[in-house]
Amino acid sequence: MSTADAFGMSTTSRLTVLSEYRWPPEPDRELPMLPGYVLSSFSPLVAAAAEGCLAGHYADPSAEPSRQRTAVLLVTAGNDVVSADHVRDKVAAGRRPGPLFFFQTAPNSVVGQVTERWGLGGPVVCISPVGDPLADGLAEADLLLEDGDADEVLLILAEQGDPAAGDGPGAADRAHALLLSAGAAS
Amino acid sequence: MAEAPVAIAGLAVLSALGRGSEPQLAAALAGAAAFGPVDRFDVSNRRVGVAATLGPVGSLTEELAEVIEQACADAGLSAGQRAGTELLLAVHGHPGAAATAAGLAERAGLAGAGRVYIGACVSASSAVADAAVLIGRGAERVVVAAGYLVESDQFALFDAGQALSADGAVRPFSQGRRGLLLGDGVAAVVLESRAAAAARGHLAGTELVGWGRAGDAYHPCQPAPDGRGLARSIDAALRRAGVAAEQVGYVNANATGTLLSDAAEAAALRTALGEAAARVPVSSTKAVHGHALEASGLLELVITVLSLRAGKLPVNAGYLGPDDSCPLELILDSPRPVASPYALSLNSAFGGANTALLVRAL
Repeated sequence: MSTADAFGMSTTSRLTVLSEYRWPPEPDRELPMLPGYVLSSFSPLVAAAAEGCLAGHYADPSAEPSRQRTAVLLVTAGNDVVSADHVRDKVAAGRRPGPLFFFQTAPNSVVGQVTERWGLGGPVVCISPVGDPLADGLAEADLLLEDGDADEVLLILAEQGDPAAGDGPGAADRAHALLLSAGAAS
Repeated sequence: MAEAPVAIAGLAVLSALGRGSEPQLAAALAGAAAFGPVDRFDVSNRRVGVAATLGPVGSLTEELAEVIEQACADAGLSAGQRAGTELLLAVHGHPGAAATAAGLAERAGLAGAGRVYIGACVSASSAVADAAVLIGRGAERVVVAAGYLVESDQFALFDAGQALSADGAVRPFSQGRRGLLLGDGVAAVVLESRAAAAARGHLAGTELVGWGRAGDAYHPCQPAPDGRGLARSIDAALRRAGVAAEQVGYVNANATGTLLSDAAEAAALRTALGEAAARVPVSSTKAVHGHALEASGLLELVITVLSLRAGKLPVNAGYLGPDDSCPLELILDSPRPVASPYALSLNSAFGGANTALLVRAL
């Protein structure tokens, strides 16, 4: 375990990092498919980061009562920009988007996939960063822990690559997940 | 121990019911729904072409700026007080959201944008809960703003998901309910510590006394049938306030008029409130203003506050008859007089996210 000093934010407590995982774990690693999600890498990216982080701390995905107080906090500036662009193009052409995009475009949806698989019953919060994403995420995690509805927070930072900047599909996707609890590591 | 109360020091709102507080209250009490054919964009290739829209509106950013200004004025904030106050914003997530929030804060003379919430239908209520925590930490006040104006992309998505009510009405907790309809909603509130409000002689009239958040851990887009996460949210809100279930005098329900969600919410209320659930008056005002997505939590909180202040509780419009899966004390036909100062405003979203906000009339 390590301790995050909240990166100079205005916080009232320190955070203990119980587990940490980054996607991709090595270059050119292919994202696993996520059943029910199509076209865009955003939800598989979030799910892969969450899986790697939680598997590093919990023995298995089965639900345990203690996880009822694990919150999930998703931080993303772009959200699922590939799905959003797809829907915008369909609508502009006067066509119907596919029904899967109805839930896929909501960032909470993939969080629900993670919470169902791992039995995480704490608050579900999604924010778009106003400053440094990690600092914003840690500050919000600290707030959730202080508020008292959660004992742990799974913080997931996820951004897709930018096709407009020449990024190939999924090539520049990045995610960083941290499982956090309140207080300094012992 | 109960948390320190947070004054709801100022508010401003618009929806398809009108601009400002009076039209919201009048239509909510009367159960006068604002749904009609959508003429804001082309719906010719959609299964359903109905929503609650306010006629001519500015851009979402312009409308947010207007309600933030009005809420600050309603709270009587000076330029100096604004300069020390952060903005929390709830909107649909997009790459420009942070810049929008920063611009809105600067335009209103606020200290800056503290957070942007993009968690679908619990975005605004999450922001309100966080504002209360920040005030508990020592912030004197926080402005929370939220907005959604019905637009073509979300409309197309809800239509593609067959979530929209095909009979042009929203019928919360009712037999024959067929789904939700979208609606405009833009609102802002100034939340302030009771001490700070008292120090400047501001009489708020209503306080946020409890809040709770919990997840279902059940499914990406379906609620847990037993409403477990929402029930724990309600528990947490009551516990923070030190309020018993029997003291709750009104529930402004999340109920969207969808088959599964309304039944899950009814189950949550039975679990969290116990025997009191059979007596607590319940209504969902989505039946008149529609579902304002990221803004729904703030629009419904404002309507709850306005109802408490007026001493009358809104009806559950669109009702066709009882559904066995929703055994609640619904407010039907006419407004109910307020019998207790405590009211809950509930919201749920995809991913099993749930929030409960508890307010008290002074």
